[in-house]
Amino acid sequence: MRARVLMAGLALAVAGLVVAAAPAPAQESHGGASRTGAAPEGGGQKEISHESEECIHKLEAGGEPDDCQEAPSPIVPAADELIWGTLSFFALLFVMWKFAYPGIKKGMEARTQRIRDNLDEAEKTKAEAETILSDYQRQLADAKSESARIIEEARQTAEQMRRDLMARAEAEVNDLRQRTRQEIEAAQQRAVADLRAQVSELAIGAAEVVVQKNLDRESNKVLVDRFIEQVGASA
Amino acid sequence: MGADERSHAYATALFEVARAEGNLEQVEAELYQVARAIESSDELRSKLTDQALPVELRQGIVEDLLEGRTQPVTKALVSFVVGAGRARDLPTIIDRLVRRAAEERDQVVAEVRSAIPLDDDQRQRLQEALSKRTGQNVSIKVTVDPSILGGIVANIGDNVIDGSVRRRLEQLRESL
Repeated sequence: MRARVLMAGLALAVAGLVVAAAPAPAQESHGGASRTGAAPEGGGQKEISHESEECIHKLEAGGEPDDCQEAPSPIVPAADELIWGTLSFFALLFVMWKFAYPGIKKGMEARTQRIRDNLDEAEKTKAEAETILSDYQRQLADAKSESARIIEEARQTAEQMRRDLMARAEAEVNDLRQRTRQEIEAAQQRAVADLRAQVSELAIGAAEVVVQKNLDRESNKVLVDRFIEQVGASA
Repeated sequence: MGADERSHAYATALFEVARAEGNLEQVEAELYQVARAIESSDELRSKLTDQALPVELRQGIVEDLLEGRTQPVTKALVSFVVGAGRARDLPTIIDRLVRRAAEERDQVVAEVRSAIPLDDDQRQRLQEALSKRTGQNVSIKVTVDPSILGGIVANIGDNVIDGSVRRRLEQLRESL
């Protein structure tokens, strides 16, 4: 809506300029034509103006063509241009004031409001960003402290495990050493016992053989009699 | 009827027959020697308990072994038990019979193993010594067992009096 109002105001201004600029040249060309066209068509000098007569006299007196006309002012416009220009200016100013200015003002206000809203939004976003940044920084600090704590705990756990493993390994080595020593001692004792048993078996076997060879009937009779005496005596 | 009751019944029957024949002590002693012989001889025990052999053959083995060495009633009793297929239980039956006979005489049985046969004097003195030792009237049943090397081993019930050389050697082995 605002763009359409602006476009309408701009179109009116252009039209005003065109309308205001058109009459002067037309009038000028019309006047010029009347001045330049009168001589060839008329064929006589019945309507020669006072200025023309003065110019003719100057030329006849040996003057230059520039002496016949005065150059227009480069600063002050002609009176008709000044009037039409002023009228056009005020007409355009009126049209602009009436139709374009409200839309432009409304658009400027909307733009100002939008910029203000954007600034507010930017401030808000900045505040949120700062909040998020502070949160992130706090979380980062927490994460750093947490990671440091975890690393410290892991280090302590690893150290404890190392100490436990060392203690266990040492205990196992001591236990193994103790068991090995006991097994060696047991093996030695078994070997000694086996040797002693074998020696005993050999000795008893030898004694049995000797007894079987030497224990004749008379000796056996003595043993029987001694047994009978011992049984009777122990009653 | 269990094996224990059956052995008891056979022992009672054999005891009554031997007592009826009037020579219980001698039959009892002979049966005791037969029981120890069966215990000590694996071959004799396997022959008498071999169910594959005819009963007549097993009884013939018994009669051949005991013919002229024991009383006829002893031979007949052993042959009867073998013929009944109870040769495996024969030592148990005879031991029960011996205890039953000793109880009849108000005695306890002392199973004596000696490396050499004992003469009558030794038997008499041994019986008196064991009776004095136990405070009971002892009836000794002697078997020759060379494995004890020398001396005597006497079993009276659960009481064992071991004076054998074998025992001395065992003590020596334990002390070593």
